[in-house]
Amino acid sequence: MKKTSFFTLFVFLLCCKVFAQNEKYVQAMTATLKDMNAIDRSKPGTAALQEIANRFERIATAEQKEWLPRYHAAYCYVQMSLMGGTVLEKDQYLDKAEAFLKQAETILGKTSDETAVLRANLSQMRLAADGMNRWQSEGPKFAQFIEEAKKLNPENPRIYYLEGSGLFFTPEQFGGGKKIAKPVLEKALEKFSTFKPESAIHPNWGKMETEWMLSQGNQ
Amino acid sequence: MKLFYFILFLIAAPAYSQILITGKVTDKKGGALPGANVFLKGTYDGTTTDATGSFSFRTDAKDTARISVSFVGYETFEKKISLLENEISLTIKLEESASELNTVIITAGAFEASDEKRMALLKPLDIVTTAGAAADITGAIQFLPGAQRVGEQEGLFVRGGSGQETKVVIDGMIVQNPFFSSLPDVQQRGRFNPFMFKGTSFSTGGYSAQYGQALSSVLLLNTTDKAANNGLGISLNLANAGVNYDYAGKNQSVSAVAYYGNLRPLFALVKQNVDWQHAPEFKGSSLTYRLKTGKKGLLKVYGMYSDSDLSMNSRNPASESGKMRLDLHNRNAFTTSTYTDSWKEGRWALNSGLSYSRNQDNMSFDGADFDRFDERTQVRAVITRLLSGNNSVLFGAEAHVIHLQNTTNGKLYDLNDQYSAAFAETEIYITRQLAGRIGLRGEYSSLLNRFNAAPRLSFAYKTGKYSQVSLAAGQFYQNPDYRYLYQNKNLNYERADHVIFNYQIIKNQRTFRIETFYKNYAQLVREFTGQPFDADPYRFPWGKTNNGGNGYAKGFDFFWRDQKSIKNFDYWVTYSYVDSKRLFQQFDQSASPTFISNHNASLITKKWFEKIQTSFNMTYAFTSRRPYYNPNNKSFLADQTPAVHNLSIQASKLQTIGGNLVIFYASVDNILNTKNVFTYRYTPDGKTRYAVGPQSYRSFFVGMQIMLSKKAKVTKDDL
Repeated sequence: MKKTSFFTLFVFLLCCKVFAQNEKYVQAMTATLKDMNAIDRSKPGTAALQEIANRFERIATAEQKEWLPRYHAAYCYVQMSLMGGTVLEKDQYLDKAEAFLKQAETILGKTSDETAVLRANLSQMRLAADGMNRWQSEGPKFAQFIEEAKKLNPENPRIYYLEGSGLFFTPEQFGGGKKIAKPVLEKALEKFSTFKPESAIHPNWGKMETEWMLSQGNQ
Repeated sequence: MKLFYFILFLIAAPAYSQILITGKVTDKKGGALPGANVFLKGTYDGTTTDATGSFSFRTDAKDTARISVSFVGYETFEKKISLLENEISLTIKLEESASELNTVIITAGAFEASDEKRMALLKPLDIVTTAGAAADITGAIQFLPGAQRVGEQEGLFVRGGSGQETKVVIDGMIVQNPFFSSLPDVQQRGRFNPFMFKGTSFSTGGYSAQYGQALSSVLLLNTTDKAANNGLGISLNLANAGVNYDYAGKNQSVSAVAYYGNLRPLFALVKQNVDWQHAPEFKGSSLTYRLKTGKKGLLKVYGMYSDSDLSMNSRNPASESGKMRLDLHNRNAFTTSTYTDSWKEGRWALNSGLSYSRNQDNMSFDGADFDRFDERTQVRAVITRLLSGNNSVLFGAEAHVIHLQNTTNGKLYDLNDQYSAAFAETEIYITRQLAGRIGLRGEYSSLLNRFNAAPRLSFAYKTGKYSQVSLAAGQFYQNPDYRYLYQNKNLNYERADHVIFNYQIIKNQRTFRIETFYKNYAQLVREFTGQPFDADPYRFPWGKTNNGGNGYAKGFDFFWRDQKSIKNFDYWVTYSYVDSKRLFQQFDQSASPTFISNHNASLITKKWFEKIQTSFNMTYAFTSRRPYYNPNNKSFLADQTPAVHNLSIQASKLQTIGGNLVIFYASVDNILNTKNVFTYRYTPDGKTRYAVGPQSYRSFFVGMQIMLSKKAKVTKDDL
């Protein structure tokens, strides 16, 4: 009797600990995401985002079975590549992002629509880093990831945001421009209005940027 | 009870006092690294270094832990630390990860045009868009440092070498007939469309043990791995009409091209110096198929066939009319398939290929038949093993079966050669700043019934963030000209020894490169006819031959490119100096051969006009005087032609017409209408001299490319 009660207590306490661990994870993720969204984007420099990326990396290293910290770390590095100075620095950020994405997909056991979207975003940034030399190699890659994401989940609004932003920054003579981007961005916004992330710590970015681009197009 | 305490301990652990870990993260030189991630592996405990590279955090971990420091651009640091004290202080130095700024690349002798390598001096499109090159690869390469321009012959003449001393290699396979069939004193174009290639590496010497059978140079062309999904396109210009179709699926892609060409319309507009009886007329097609097999595997199959006809009156001072009618019907086929794959995250890589080429020239000179036939079958495999720290080692082998025939006035000359080679090469990074490449190539030719062993060596040292020096040396063997082998099968390989020293600095879209070289020629074939020198380049050798010849070439060349100083303006300047003498062929004394020009300089500019979507390119090329044979001059090859100047312009415009992209292009070659002379020849009695010049002086060309698919994308870099 005594032994069984001890055993029950042990199992209960252990569960608490596991539960506590999970709670700790969700808490850490939520807090980091909150801080990420609070970053003042108008301020130059990568320091604030680096701090967030580091926090995600620490969570990722502690939680070997979670893909989300890796996903968000990758997202941070993709964003940082926009701010990095030289092509080499941008590439180094993107290399790191790619490594995290690879880990995330290994944990998931597949490519999800969200990782495909982020991969498309990554290709876009590689292209932006050195457009003259990369449009041939990265352009088709971007299209391929977008297509893949659409197949996996056509309701993902970030697909259309990325497509729209690609057009937004393409000069008019090459088939881009604000006017052409507008319907695509509007479609993104429409999808955003019904989009519900799976949980508070799942990917949920792009709406603000879509709105900004649309506001620019209307000027 | 013990268990109970244990559980209590387990749960209560967080309540225990925390340990403080502080320290600083720096690079090797002690410079602070802000933004680095410092943490204990497997825990949430850690922090980001501040502006001074310092960090400080608390942890609940006990006994020992693994501290990890990661930072973009640096190798991740990991170390086991003991947590027995309440406060731990650490200083951590991170090693920079390998990048182009801190790692040297072996470059001596190689001039690369690549999209993939950032250190490449040119992009493939730079080659295609060079004015004066007529969208011909070799036409553009001859403006690069180290090349000498020889207007009346095809081929690449590199650092004192003849056109035969350069081999054209596509995906590792030697191309038997890279140019359209040779005609007397009319330079021929290359057979390959420059858009087929993703990268070009022009080696001016000291090249890798992977390649052989070239005394001077190899031009390495790598075909693209992917076709764009461009759909149907049409090309129309003054000389030909063609259609091309590209389809790309997920794992496979196809590109097909078919064309018909006739130079009659062009020749009607541009005055010809050649007396054409039948302007060149040609038709051809090519097909490329690519299949992704598995994760990394790629199979590429390329096949092309072309058929051409022409007839001209070439000058023949020996005949009464002073003319000789030449008819040529050429049929050429080239197929190559390559398979590449890699395993274990690229640590093992395979490059293999199989190729067959066949060429038939039915020629007649004033009705007398003179036929040429050749075929070459080759297989090749190279295995590369990547080792840690950028080091690598590769092994490979190739085997060729070559069959050649010449029919001269009913007499058949026939040759068979089985040529095989094996090679090994290793690239060693002694430090990131100092690297070496050591290779050895062994060859056997059944025709010569001899082996050779050719060592190759290069070193490179990084002298600064953007600059480096390299040194390359090696031995290179080549079978003698087959025309000699028809008569004498006891000949040996011809040999060249190269030493090259190179300095280059690439910074901020500006490139400066200088290279100096010495080349020793040995075992060159000499021919003894017992007659005076015969300057006819198309004579068939009939004299006794041996390998008693020798020679040297020495000089330097430099390259400067600036894409930065003026917006949308790109220019490069090259200058090559060579001094060379040889004792070979019918020479009875050492002299500079007729293909040597001491000075070659060129200026190439490209300007993009954003508003009118037009790129405007210009090339100026200068080639200094070249020796020619004057039978009336007692000293051998002492006369010299005048220098050659050529100014060419080219413009391309991008436009959308009815939703389809159209590229218009127009070019004018030799816009100043300079009456260039490439060489002089004499009538047999030595009394009359006549000049050999280009096919036409000032000439122009217009055309367009239409892309019928809405998916097609074109940017200014295509122009």
